[in-house]
Amino acid sequence: MAEGANSSATGGGLLAKIRGPRDFFGGVALILVAALAFWASSNLPGQQGFAFGPGTAPRIFAGLLMFIGAVVALTGLFVKGPPIEGFAIRGPAFVILAILIFAATIRGIRVDLAGIPIHLPAFGMVFSTFVAFMVSLFGSKEFRWIESLIAAVAMTAFCVVLFVHLLGLPFQLWPMF
Amino acid sequence: MTDLLANLALGFSVAAAPMNIAFCLLGALVGTLVGVLPGIGTVATVAMLLPITFGLPPVGALIMLAGIYYGAQYGGSTTSILVNIPGEATSVVTCLDGHQMARKGRAGAALSIAALGSFFAGCVATVLVAALGAPLTSLALLFGPAEYFALMVLGLIFAVVLAKGSVLKAVAMIVLGLLLSMVGSDLETGAGRMTFDIAELSDGIGFTNVAMGLFGFAEIIRNLEMSQESRDIVKAKISGLMPTRQDLVDSSGAIARGTVLGSILGILPGGGAIVASFAAYTFEKRISKHPERFGHGAIQGVAAPEAANNAASQTSFIPLLTLGIPPNAVMALMVGAMTIHGIVPGPQVMIKQPDLFWGMIASMWIGNLMLVIINLPLVGLWVSLLRVPYRLLFPSIIVFCCIGIYSINNAPTDVLIAAIFGLVGYALVKLDFEPAPLVLAFVLGPLLEENLRRAMLIARGDATVFLTRPISGVLLAVALILLIVAMLPMISKKRETVFVE
Repeated sequence: MAEGANSSATGGGLLAKIRGPRDFFGGVALILVAALAFWASSNLPGQQGFAFGPGTAPRIFAGLLMFIGAVVALTGLFVKGPPIEGFAIRGPAFVILAILIFAATIRGIRVDLAGIPIHLPAFGMVFSTFVAFMVSLFGSKEFRWIESLIAAVAMTAFCVVLFVHLLGLPFQLWPMF
Repeated sequence: MTDLLANLALGFSVAAAPMNIAFCLLGALVGTLVGVLPGIGTVATVAMLLPITFGLPPVGALIMLAGIYYGAQYGGSTTSILVNIPGEATSVVTCLDGHQMARKGRAGAALSIAALGSFFAGCVATVLVAALGAPLTSLALLFGPAEYFALMVLGLIFAVVLAKGSVLKAVAMIVLGLLLSMVGSDLETGAGRMTFDIAELSDGIGFTNVAMGLFGFAEIIRNLEMSQESRDIVKAKISGLMPTRQDLVDSSGAIARGTVLGSILGILPGGGAIVASFAAYTFEKRISKHPERFGHGAIQGVAAPEAANNAASQTSFIPLLTLGIPPNAVMALMVGAMTIHGIVPGPQVMIKQPDLFWGMIASMWIGNLMLVIINLPLVGLWVSLLRVPYRLLFPSIIVFCCIGIYSINNAPTDVLIAAIFGLVGYALVKLDFEPAPLVLAFVLGPLLEENLRRAMLIARGDATVFLTRPISGVLLAVALILLIVAMLPMISKKRETVFVE
């Protein structure tokens, strides 16, 4: 759905003809998702006798989604609607980055990405929570060092007490290499 | 009648067990704690706190979740009254008069009337749930796959009708939710569907990840965009918590009417609580002798919608517990929680696990009592919580969500999926799509497909079975009429805009 980002710019040509950009790009995105679902379920067997196969329902709904997406997109082409607000970069970027760091460090990762092995040791919950907190802080424009550090330590301690001690979840707390 | 009393007695014996009371209290407490935070609605609160109930025994977990739900709703009202930021749609109405009352120094009265109104509504709705539970369950036994399918379609259409904005886009969200729910192993053959050969997707996409991403992360990203300075916390000390005799006299009628409206609307699938509070407010304003006072701190304008939304949130358990069909996004989360505990929501719950069924109903009443007990004295604490700046609040919510999601399966990929849905949710909001119907459809998806397939198989591939069986035919007809009615104003409006050119 990232293509929506550019549409707020009043480009010339075809883009200028789009009266309701929110509907238009939303509809286009739906069509793309439906196409992806079609492609992904194309290898599944369909109707066998009276019984639905595994692929029947996904294809029915993908088809329906594609149809609705097309209608929404067409509406956007002809009916005037509000412009798309600009997508913020900073907030989403740091929030997502923080979540990714959390996911990557809590148990470590061992994957081969295009032949390049990526190995990351498990840093444990204390590290992951603290770092994720600190990174996400940058998503806001107001940032104060001392207050943030205190809050990060406090939140980490709170989570350890709540999840590990009170709820008894088997989390690894400290880094293990 | 004696049955009802016996059942309620059983329920109270379960719910009043010290452990369960503790879970209920804890749920109401943390629910309020999170629900009070500005910008976090009921759905987000329940989604966020879901993981902490997974370690508990099933009855305790569901009681705690119900407590969280009421707490979150009450917390949202507190925020509406004190800060004028509705956490979600149901408390928008409470802002109108509640915040005006607070500005006139009557925050205490507004808060206590909201609590008392909710409590009264909760009492009535609890009895109603208990009374309607048994007859509706026997009705459910008449339902075959075709009827279940039709009923779910009706529920989804209700969600569409009640969604704000374009009907078509809401339908699109439903279909997208259904499609997403089909990712993973096929119910009958076990074939991996749309998994892109990713091992983590073979079990399907976890619904907590979807809910947390769409409601938790997306909400935060969205809030970060808005200026945080516009918060208008009532600074004056809250004094005189107890309402005056006059307040009680003024609001008692409104509470009673709100309760009745809310109870009825809550049973309807598709998000009754929101309509309930709006309907109750509008109704009060219409019958009032002084409609001009509404919007300027009329106590009836707080009492009626608060009673209505609490009654509705309670009666919305009826379709879930008797038919196994969640009528709104919060109930969809409850289904997820029940499934994790190995409980299949539906008519068999009452028959096979009466302690769970009646225990939960009794805990609704206890939960409401808790809210009155804990919230009135703790108002000061909630106010101080509201003063925590957002720049520190949102990272806390993020790490809390991350740990919560991770704790469900100890799977970092779940956290990753939630992050993706966070971005999706952000884009959806930007493009005017509502995420609530998507989540509802996502949860109903497997059930819907299963019943569709079964009905088709029984009817030997004849799709007209949905129309020829009377109950299913009627349900589908109602769904169609609703959809058309919802579409009509849209079409005529669109036409106008076209004609203006």
